[in-house]
Amino acid sequence: MNGLLLDVREVSKTFTRGGLLSRETIVAVNKVSFQLAVGRPEILAIIGESGSGKTTLARMILNTETPTSGRLLLDGTDLAAISGSGSRRAFMHKVQPIFQNPFESFNPLKRVERYLLMTRRRFSGTAEESTAAAAVDAALHKVGLSLKEVSDRYPHELSGGQLQRVAIARALLAEPKLIVADEPVSMIDASLRMSIVNLFKTLRDDLGISIIYVTHDLATAYYISDRIMIMQKGSVVESGDARTVLKAPRHPYTQQLREAVLLPEVSDPAANVTHGINGPISPAAPERTT
Amino acid sequence: MHADAEQPQRDQDAQPLLSVRDLQAYYQTSHAGVRRGIRAVDGVSFAVRRGEIYGLAGESSSGKTTLIKSIAGAIRPPLEIVGGSMEFAFLPGYGGLHRAPPAELERIRWRHLSYIMQGSMNVLNPVRRVRSSFVDFAYPHIGGSRRRFEQQVIAHLARVKLDPSVLAAFPHELSGGMRQRAALALATICRPGFIIADEPTTALDVVVQKEVLGMLRGIQRETGSSVLFVTHDMGVHAHITDRLAIMYAGRLVEEAATTEIFGNPLHPYTRHLISSLPRIGDDAPRQGLGGAPPNLADPPSGCRFHPRCPLAREICRREIPVMGESAPGHRVACFAVNQGERA
Repeated sequence: MNGLLLDVREVSKTFTRGGLLSRETIVAVNKVSFQLAVGRPEILAIIGESGSGKTTLARMILNTETPTSGRLLLDGTDLAAISGSGSRRAFMHKVQPIFQNPFESFNPLKRVERYLLMTRRRFSGTAEESTAAAAVDAALHKVGLSLKEVSDRYPHELSGGQLQRVAIARALLAEPKLIVADEPVSMIDASLRMSIVNLFKTLRDDLGISIIYVTHDLATAYYISDRIMIMQKGSVVESGDARTVLKAPRHPYTQQLREAVLLPEVSDPAANVTHGINGPISPAAPERTT
Repeated sequence: MHADAEQPQRDQDAQPLLSVRDLQAYYQTSHAGVRRGIRAVDGVSFAVRRGEIYGLAGESSSGKTTLIKSIAGAIRPPLEIVGGSMEFAFLPGYGGLHRAPPAELERIRWRHLSYIMQGSMNVLNPVRRVRSSFVDFAYPHIGGSRRRFEQQVIAHLARVKLDPSVLAAFPHELSGGMRQRAALALATICRPGFIIADEPTTALDVVVQKEVLGMLRGIQRETGSSVLFVTHDMGVHAHITDRLAIMYAGRLVEEAATTEIFGNPLHPYTRHLISSLPRIGDDAPRQGLGGAPPNLADPPSGCRFHPRCPLAREICRREIPVMGESAPGHRVACFAVNQGERA
């Protein structure tokens, strides 16, 4: 054992588009390397704007996208070597995804508990109804819900925050070592968002699960992550301890991102003339009729 | 003489550009004699003054989109205006765009009232070049020779840092930021008195978002337009709005100058909304709010926030709190706060 839970070695992904005459190559991920250690659970945030390759990288870790070059090893197993249902199930036992929109990750025509019970049966290999129900209930308790609350409910009958909790509970049923969460809170209402974010902390501290948190939101990344990776156009431009990177960014792109974050506070009304209601507003332009 | 001439002018300035009074907009359906109603906007009153950016904040299903639809006159069944009025200063006497005749609407659209939406693909015609959109919407109001109009458009595009070449492009050929800037240029070229901005920068990356907000602020200062700015992002509100209203479950809960809302929030919901936001450099733990947002088909009795409220008391379950002025210009709808208690 090399002591690494996840070892990403120089992975690249290129997409080509166009026909024979006009081919265009897009480098979505460019030689990215990082590691997660075994036995030291942490939250790693991957930050980037749209088109930075953060989602492609997350998909490669989830093994739904194969890298053009480079290797990914999970617990020493090369992801490229996974084939057949047995090894795929073993892989899914270790890594689980959580997606952006919980309403899209559940079948709207099926009760949520059915999905949970099915997942449990698939992973445990037992057909026993009562033990599966107990396991589902235990997983729901970890996210602050219970089977009683969600049984007989369809996805649309739950709020976005509740449903995202159910999605997390579903991921926990596999007892994973790593969760890949792609923008898990950006669709959640403001009043419920922080409880989901806090839940990720609990998963790390109490259950020892490492989390790869993919986001464009620097403020929540600062709040929960231990380590951070900033991506721009497929490459990692800066990485390190979350607090160090975000408090004193070194790369110009990180500095630019950091400065563009709009703080939820009006710092100094006197210095910022835009906030005075009686502030200087130029007289109506000549063309304007009232 | 001089003073007399000035007086009506000042009165006109003091009069708000848009005043919404006790607006009730419900989604109503009737199936086999069973009537169902979703009270998406229920008794909302506010006024937007001349030359200000008025912010409206609220989470999903708080009714802010329904409110915008009603103000913009985009009322289609099952949405119905059940009560109240929305009076624009440039369209007096109708009590809302939905009651105005088509000829009047033709006159004011884009000239007096324009829109910037979240997806600018919905404003720019996807099968026509950007130039055609400008000609379709703005040319009828500006007139003159086409050459002079085009020069005016090019000069206006320069304000939002767009090259004249975008006029020959189709909307899908532009990046999200460029498209949103083109929509901003289109919405402001006629120097309208009122602009409705519905989550205009939500789909943009943070760096582009800040740039577009700066442009909107710059143009708004220059033209003196009023803007109704709707977004759920409190950071954006803090950055751009002059006054801010917080909406919860179809009702306004608090309204004040933006500095006041962030410096001295009073309603328990507003206080939670602001204190729960994480900030870079601040390691204090944040809490989510318990409970779930209410179902508007069957909202809680009395104050709609009471099941989740730390200050809830007996009266909150029975009676609906009205907006009371706690300080000049600071209105809040909460029994506990209006009785002097703080969370």
